[in-house]
Amino acid sequence: MAERPTVAQQLAAKQREISVAEFFERNRQILGFDNPLRALLTTVKEGVDNALDACEEAGILPEISVEIAREGTERLRVAVDDNGPGILRRQIPNVFARLLYGSRFHANRQSRGQQGIGISAAVLYAALTTARPARIVSKVAEEEAAQVVELLIDTQRNLPRVISEDLLLWDRPHGTRVELLLKAKYQRGRQSPFEYLKDTAIVNPHARIVLVEPDGTRVTWERAAPTAPPIPKEVLPHPYGLELGELASRLKATARPTVAEVLAREFAGVTPRALREVLGRAGLSGKEKPDSIHGELLETLLEALRTVPLLPPSAESLSPIGPLLIKRGLRNVLGEIRPDFFAPPVSRPPKVRGGFPFLVEVGLVYGGELPPDQPVQLLRFANRVPLLFQQGACAVTNAVANLDWRRYGLEQKGGSGLPSGPCLILVHVASTKIPFTSEAKEAIAEDPEIDKEITLALQAAARHLRLHLSRRSRREQASEKFDVILRILPRLAEKTSALVGKPVPDLTPVITRIMDVVYVNPSVVAAAKGGSTTTVRVEIVNYTPRARVLELFLEMPPAAFPPDPVSRSPDGSEPELGRMWWTLPKLLPSARAEIALTFPRSSEIDADEVDFYEAGVDEAHLLGADPLPGDWEVRVPRAVIEAAEEAAAAAPPGEETEVDYDGAKSEGALDEE
Amino acid sequence: MARRAKEPSTKSEESAESVSARALRPTLDLAEQVYDQLAHGEIPRMRLPLRTKQNIAFQMREGVWKLGRALGTRSARKKDGALMLLRTFYLVDFIGEMARAGKTSTLRELYYISEGWEEGKFHSEDESNLLIEDLEVLCTRLREDFRLHPEENGASVIGDLTLRERNRKGIAKKINCRDDVGDGGYALPFNVEREKIELLSTGAKFIIAIECGGMVDRLAENGFDEQHDALLVHLKGQPARSTRRFLKRLNEEMKLPVVVFTDGDPWSFRIFASVAYGAIKTAHLSQYLATPSAEFLGVTPSDIENYDLPSDKLSDVDIRALQAELTDPRFQTAEWRAEIELMLKNGKKAEQQSLAKYGLNYVTEKYLPEKLTEMGIL
Repeated sequence: MAERPTVAQQLAAKQREISVAEFFERNRQILGFDNPLRALLTTVKEGVDNALDACEEAGILPEISVEIAREGTERLRVAVDDNGPGILRRQIPNVFARLLYGSRFHANRQSRGQQGIGISAAVLYAALTTARPARIVSKVAEEEAAQVVELLIDTQRNLPRVISEDLLLWDRPHGTRVELLLKAKYQRGRQSPFEYLKDTAIVNPHARIVLVEPDGTRVTWERAAPTAPPIPKEVLPHPYGLELGELASRLKATARPTVAEVLAREFAGVTPRALREVLGRAGLSGKEKPDSIHGELLETLLEALRTVPLLPPSAESLSPIGPLLIKRGLRNVLGEIRPDFFAPPVSRPPKVRGGFPFLVEVGLVYGGELPPDQPVQLLRFANRVPLLFQQGACAVTNAVANLDWRRYGLEQKGGSGLPSGPCLILVHVASTKIPFTSEAKEAIAEDPEIDKEITLALQAAARHLRLHLSRRSRREQASEKFDVILRILPRLAEKTSALVGKPVPDLTPVITRIMDVVYVNPSVVAAAKGGSTTTVRVEIVNYTPRARVLELFLEMPPAAFPPDPVSRSPDGSEPELGRMWWTLPKLLPSARAEIALTFPRSSEIDADEVDFYEAGVDEAHLLGADPLPGDWEVRVPRAVIEAAEEAAAAAPPGEETEVDYDGAKSEGALDEE
Repeated sequence: MARRAKEPSTKSEESAESVSARALRPTLDLAEQVYDQLAHGEIPRMRLPLRTKQNIAFQMREGVWKLGRALGTRSARKKDGALMLLRTFYLVDFIGEMARAGKTSTLRELYYISEGWEEGKFHSEDESNLLIEDLEVLCTRLREDFRLHPEENGASVIGDLTLRERNRKGIAKKINCRDDVGDGGYALPFNVEREKIELLSTGAKFIIAIECGGMVDRLAENGFDEQHDALLVHLKGQPARSTRRFLKRLNEEMKLPVVVFTDGDPWSFRIFASVAYGAIKTAHLSQYLATPSAEFLGVTPSDIENYDLPSDKLSDVDIRALQAELTDPRFQTAEWRAEIELMLKNGKKAEQQSLAKYGLNYVTEKYLPEKLTEMGIL
């Protein structure tokens, strides 16, 4: 019997370590290399994410170029170039040809890539499909020449294999180029490299991105913001998000002498007072050696850390895009479809889930050449990385679908599901740890905290949309009236005068009767190209049959305050709220007044961002502005109030109650010949 | 309201231009009124009787439904009203031009003529037709007085009726609608007034007005007109003014009773209503166009049951049409309410031709004789 190996022995003979690389070779779909289209996108994405992260860390404004060239059938050569800090020679093999090697996994801050799998997986895929090594060119500023390294991955040992190396005199001070030959397929459209880079350009307006497509077409997304976003700070891990194993390894790896010191210095949010309470609950003095804590004691300690109130995690580790840059990014990339409306972007304050801070940002664009009868376009981003797959499974999609958009002026069947309309919605979730539904990082998992924040941000943006749409519909109503007074009435006067043989009468009194509104008409005169200013012009016309004394109020983003010059000096202002106001001279029927405000071009002011309010006329007789809200606490001059009261008293008793002949529709339409 | 047909004799003595000028007199008053309003700083407006279901009233004396007293205001306060006011004066100009040139225009041509009216251009033929009806109401005239007429519609008459028609060339021709015409019957011109058509004699005892051409052919092929001394008039769906006017003249001048034979669906009830009671949109002309003594022969909702006819399910639109009829003053008789409610209850409608279920002769040998006997016509 002794000669016959036992089953366990037989199995043991087959059991051996599976290298990570080998594992991924067999399961490449997990990382997004399951078909030639997808493989190309993933390769471009990993290359570009790395390039952006590298530039950001070095405080460099990114210049990224992606060249895709056909080479034989079903084979593409992909080259991603950046102007980042470059990579030291000795690190090149590990960065590009060793899975799970990276600088950011252990850093507790927001970044695009994290696990250090991506680019190596692309190198691996390239080698698997074309048996060709990756070519890396990288130059750091301190070196005279660039390093050129050709690499493969030893899938057995998860180690890089250098095929060749060389030096190259490069035309740039620093940067990296990754070149891969892989089995792949290029096309534009949804989930394509084009789409990915376009979306990337929207949320990274500080980057200049160039794409050269296989047919030679060169697409450039120019830089739209002059400065890089601040580098997110690296912060200590917060105990609220801690797992037992992590706590154990921290305690084991530390060089600090006591538990108390480790807790106070290596974790965030643990104040001296909280420390005392944690130690008390865990039954520790604090003087214990860190590596003496294990077993039940470890669990008690973790429980204490989780239950004692600590300072919330710091949001300094996050890098929001910010309202201004979201707007610039959207404008820069979507400018050619000429949207009617860019909602002021919403950037929510940071919140915490588990031990990790996160924040949500939303941008919304309406009209222009966006298709009016299709579901809205939803652009999802996690830490500034576009999410192109798994839209249906994503928490962002669900938050959008669960909001009743009908209240905000979009069509939506039954008040749930993706709404339809000429609208594009951008949602960015930033966090030191984003809960993805899978390792492929294609969709954000459901989480009540994140969902709530997304919903609040969407609602805020949607309210702007509703306001825009209601203003637009009022403008349309006004344009009907303008048609009447400007185009129809003069002809009617001509025709009837000719028929009765009398001179054409003065139409002003009729015009003011028909309009019966004070019309506030703002227009933004963008400076000519190269000009340095933007002018907002407001025209106020008294289209009512009586004289008016009016007070005009303006509210603009406080950042844009004060405009200079202002054509009429204001009678009051409140700089910190971005408000100013004027008492206008008495306007007789048909008379007009105008105020022009000039802003520096850098303030990027929009007509939508300046709100107009009017006192001295009631809402029913006001067009293009709203009545002054009650919470402004501004004293309206006596003359304005008196004039308004006079006008109200003299006004005829409302609309005539007669039946509108042209509005009454016969139900017997089919009765007719 | 419209007087024209009642004073045909004055016609021949006047020039075309002066007829139009006289017909358009009220539009001059309107121009005067609008001008004064403009000069006084008032919003131009005019008042017109509403041509809606809510504003038709039964006239005992004439036995028809006519326009009621409710007035609507056409005001330049709104764009639609302002446009219609402006178009009225463009239209008046155009009619004057036609009169001077001795031309007439079809309704469709008018729609295209308005291309040259700049702001006043019509956006649909419905708009131009509505405006012409407004003008009829305003001036208490018929559109022919404004030199406007529909395209020839060719509704046809088959049976022993002799009439004299004055054709385009002014030649009077005597025609018997059975012996002198082809299988298509005698085609009605748009103008069926006395100066155009003189009714001479008839051997018919009654008129059967039929919705569909197929059924007219069936009756003609089966010799129903000769066998029962009937005059067949094809309504062609919703009957044109000329068809309704012609039925009325036959009824009044030849003392022929009129029965209406249509499909059994909600729309056919409206066809009957426009023949017998007067249509809502042309309620201002009801005393010319409506034949109050006309009776509905079928297909009634009860017929669908009694004759067990093949039927279709009522559509949502059908149901809404029936419900609208329940609030239509013209259908407020016990009989109509019962039939409409029966149709709603059964949810079924049937075509006239569904009678062919029992063979091609069934309609002429069984159904019609039964129904006509019931109605006291045969």
